[in-house]
Amino acid sequence: MMDPNLTTIDFRLYAHWIVLLPMIGFLLELLIGKYTWRKGGMFATLSILGSMIISYGCLYNVYVQELGFWEYSWDWFYPGIVAGFTIDPLSLAMLCMVSFISFFIHFYAIGYMSHDCAKNVYFAETALFTGSMFGLVLSNNLLQLFIFWEMVGVCSYLLIGFWWHKPEAAAAGKKAWMSCAVGDCLFLLGIAMMYTIMVKQGITTEIISFNNIFQNLEHLSHETIFGMSALTIICILFMCGVLGKSAGFPLHVWIPDAMEGPTTVSALIHAATMVTAGVYLIARAFPIFLAAPNALMIVAFMGAFTALYASTLGLVVNDLKRIFAYSTISQLGYMIAILGCGAVLGVAAVAYAIFHLVAHAFFKALLFLSSGSVLHGIGNIRDIKEMGGLLKGMPWTGYAMLAGALALIAFPFTAGYYSKDRIIEDAYIYATNGGDLGYMVWIFLVLGVILTATYTFRAWYLAMTGEPRSYPAIRPHECGFWMKTTLVVLSVFALGLGIMTGGGVKFWHFLEETFVHETQTASGVYPGLDLHEIGLLGGNTLMQHGAHPPQWVIYLPLLLMIAGLAIATTVYYKNRIDVSKYVKKDNPLYQILWNKYYLDYLFKDIIAEKIIMTVFTFWDVLDRYVIDGVVNLLSWITIQAGQVGRKLQTGVVQNYATAVIFGVSMLMILVIMFRGGL
Amino acid sequence: MVDYTALLPIGIVIATAVIVLLTGLFIEQKKILGYITLVGLLTSLGLVLKGWDLNVAFDSAPFYGAIVVDPFAQIFNAMFLIVGVLVAIAALKAYGDNPRQDEFYSMMLLATVGMMVVAMSKDLLALFIGFELASIATYAMAGFDKRDPKSIEAALKYFLIGGLSSSLMVFGISYIYGLTGSTNIDTIASVFGANPGLATTPAILLAMVMLIAGFGFKMAFVPFHMWAPDTYEGAPSIVSALLAAGSKKMGFAAAFRIFIVGLIAMKVDWYIAFMILAVLTMTVGNILAVVQTSVKRMLAYSSIAHAGYIAVVFVVVAYDPAPGVAVIHAMTGGLMHAFSHAIGKAAAFIAVAAIAYMILSKDGKVDDPNHVSNYDGLAKRAPMTAFLFALLLCSLAGIPPLFGFTSKFVLFLSTIEAGLVGLAIICVLNSALSVYYYAKVVMRMYWGEPKGEAFVESSTYTFVLAIAVIALIVLFMPLPGMVSPGDLVYQWAEVAAHAVTGV
Repeated sequence: MMDPNLTTIDFRLYAHWIVLLPMIGFLLELLIGKYTWRKGGMFATLSILGSMIISYGCLYNVYVQELGFWEYSWDWFYPGIVAGFTIDPLSLAMLCMVSFISFFIHFYAIGYMSHDCAKNVYFAETALFTGSMFGLVLSNNLLQLFIFWEMVGVCSYLLIGFWWHKPEAAAAGKKAWMSCAVGDCLFLLGIAMMYTIMVKQGITTEIISFNNIFQNLEHLSHETIFGMSALTIICILFMCGVLGKSAGFPLHVWIPDAMEGPTTVSALIHAATMVTAGVYLIARAFPIFLAAPNALMIVAFMGAFTALYASTLGLVVNDLKRIFAYSTISQLGYMIAILGCGAVLGVAAVAYAIFHLVAHAFFKALLFLSSGSVLHGIGNIRDIKEMGGLLKGMPWTGYAMLAGALALIAFPFTAGYYSKDRIIEDAYIYATNGGDLGYMVWIFLVLGVILTATYTFRAWYLAMTGEPRSYPAIRPHECGFWMKTTLVVLSVFALGLGIMTGGGVKFWHFLEETFVHETQTASGVYPGLDLHEIGLLGGNTLMQHGAHPPQWVIYLPLLLMIAGLAIATTVYYKNRIDVSKYVKKDNPLYQILWNKYYLDYLFKDIIAEKIIMTVFTFWDVLDRYVIDGVVNLLSWITIQAGQVGRKLQTGVVQNYATAVIFGVSMLMILVIMFRGGL
Repeated sequence: MVDYTALLPIGIVIATAVIVLLTGLFIEQKKILGYITLVGLLTSLGLVLKGWDLNVAFDSAPFYGAIVVDPFAQIFNAMFLIVGVLVAIAALKAYGDNPRQDEFYSMMLLATVGMMVVAMSKDLLALFIGFELASIATYAMAGFDKRDPKSIEAALKYFLIGGLSSSLMVFGISYIYGLTGSTNIDTIASVFGANPGLATTPAILLAMVMLIAGFGFKMAFVPFHMWAPDTYEGAPSIVSALLAAGSKKMGFAAAFRIFIVGLIAMKVDWYIAFMILAVLTMTVGNILAVVQTSVKRMLAYSSIAHAGYIAVVFVVVAYDPAPGVAVIHAMTGGLMHAFSHAIGKAAAFIAVAAIAYMILSKDGKVDDPNHVSNYDGLAKRAPMTAFLFALLLCSLAGIPPLFGFTSKFVLFLSTIEAGLVGLAIICVLNSALSVYYYAKVVMRMYWGEPKGEAFVESSTYTFVLAIAVIALIVLFMPLPGMVSPGDLVYQWAEVAAHAVTGV
């Protein structure tokens, strides 16, 4: 370790530039990007490199030099509304991950998007996307976080529909926007309620900054709305926002369609800039959830259910990118579930969730970028049934994808092994220490493991091994310098992140300092915060000491993973079992899975088209005939009055003089009337 | 020894007028006179801006308290001079070849002198003389295009109704003199303040209504407005610019002084009259502007509507029982709105002149070059003019980031601060209605089908429009606490408001 007293730049003073640089990159790219190097991409990539340098500088300041955390806010447009930044382990972990992944995705995109004609627009949008995510992570208050949260949403809409000339892409962008908007509306409602109850406490400065909310949780926990704890309602509303953004059940429907965008966008959305926002929100607002009765139980259940649910869907999809999309939903489920387990585990849950988030970001970015390389190499075919034997033609891509897949299924000593198995073990501890819903969460998560291993390797075997099943797959071409470099770097991290962080232990210890009111070297960002007391407000008794699950619990995920891997190998590599007799349209189970549990049907055909359209038709009629009628009537009256008034303007000067005298007389009469006689 | 340097600006304008008139008799190349006019006006404007916060009263001979140079007078002087400068530059193009251009420039300068005298006078007689000087000069200017029957008609109507109004005004002044024994506005105010019984006599009521009617003519309040659309439409466009932007503001300068200073004791009486006139004026102005097909006439009606907004100042000042921040904001907003409207409307009329000039020179004979159908696709035919004209209309409509927004904002804000929420709602609804006819023109310019090939844009006109637009953008955001050029105008107007309301 370096000398802690080494005087260097205090990067924390420049934290705002982490957000501003990509915004500048966005403007430059949009305005003059077209005329620069390779017709775009330079400014976006360099600006994110700048953000990355500042982020790692801050990490160095805080972790190595132990200069302490940092919070700064300044007044914004209205008394009590502030803008501000927080630099603490939680935000630092996110910043470093987002900037690193995003930088390499940009680097990769220089090669991947090289043939696109609107390259500068693409890079402008991704720079804005990344910048918004930085802003979200750095926010120290709910309103600012929400603004960036929406900016992230807008950018995702723009980027998913980047190839807008394809109808599916345009529809997918719309779907992503609508699904998130449902959650976002409720999230905003939650913020408004939080503001209201904070004001009720007589708080006038920094009303909805996290610090202030955490300080007042004891008073807030007495607030009720409709006989329910206000905090629980707020947490449920926040959770709706999280489900939209982090693709939780049932608002996850946009994720598979979002694959219509460029693959680099999918990588950004899945790894760095979009879906992680929801998990981050729960982590950042963790004390609020802890103080709200039953809130974390809902979080745990929704997370575990999503984890299992999405992995069943991954089994039947044939689109390479969509398989990884479902795996993202499932992995996010793991993160959300372990945050829910925080009701017993306390701050450790946040550390585990964020570690899995970071590890997941590396291997998911790798998986998407390598599948992007596949698409690039065989002419945008996404169906794994038309691939096969690609490993020979594109070994770099094939092995990179293998590295990502191994990390995803938590193969020993990869990043996923340390992050995911820890989650499953602690879910067991949660159950044995009296967590709500007991073993259900743990069982869901454990079952997810076997399915994950199966579908991941189903995809890899079908794509990479065997015989080519279509003409383009016979002669794939390997990707170029930019893409290859990225794949190698990400592979190293996907495989080695766990080992680099001492099995995650260093990372967890660092992260746990977020919600500890006094660290060894400096006071925390949230002074006086005691999670044990806060937990009691919400009826959550935190574990006092670390516990160890029995040996069989530790080895169970590993065994199940091997079992899943064995199934995939038997069926799709050795072809020992012919699954085609089960995988048929008349198999009801297959049909349910193929139709994604009919959720799309429910949302689109029933809710959207029948119920909402009926309501809309009603409103439309009302709008068209009643409201428009009133408007038209008003404009008709205005114009008629104008026409009448026009006729008064005769052009005869005698009439004008008469009008003057008339006016004088009327004024006399009015003034006299008003004062009640002479 | 009194320091007369405060009178230097008006002296320079008078001297320029005389020089232009005399030189014009002897020289052939009269275009030089336009430049002399410009130099005179700019020098005067520079001195006014330099001495923006002067507060000099000329109490001894030869003025005997009739003339005062205070921030209120200076801000109006600046307005008149800016309008004068804009019109003078436009005239370089419009009358560059006219053999009678010396008359135009000298009359314009004399009209400016009259307006400045009105802004500076503290005596009803001086005020009336200034008023008539400006009026007579503008009567002649309205009929400057002698061969155009519409111009003659405009001048005649203006003159006849102007004469009627002047007689009403003098009638009102004579009653006030009869009641108080003085024509000095401060003395009048103190006499009424000392004798509350005097303020309720029927005679003063008559005088008050006569004065409202007399000034209402210049300010174009409904129903004294009927000359305005005909005159603004018939007069040469750059003269309309002077009338709508300068001469109308002179009416406000006079009315502010007389009612808010001189007759403040009778505010309960004139408050109701101004309330009715303000609402009537803005509503009728806007509604009639909606149905116009001539852009020039539309601008005339919009000018009437703006007079209605500014008239709100009288209502707020009189309504507030304990004069405070609302009164100051109303007066400040009124002055700022007069300022923004003066620049915006003058430039808008000049833009109309520029467009009519282009249409007539390119498309040959058209019935009415100001008809809105001629503006179709103007953005493609004359991109610069169309863009600047669109921005001017945005400022008139009160759309940020232009000065028209801020001035309207401060003005309407004061009505809410005074508790006149109903009036505020009427103002805002009217303002919303006005967007319709401004946007209609912008829409036709940008989305209409062009009627012919591209025009050659006149650099002189474009220059005038560009100056006005830049001024309106630079003066944007004069909110308290911000340091910007606009902030200075806000402060200026605020100081002037303190000076005139005495709060």
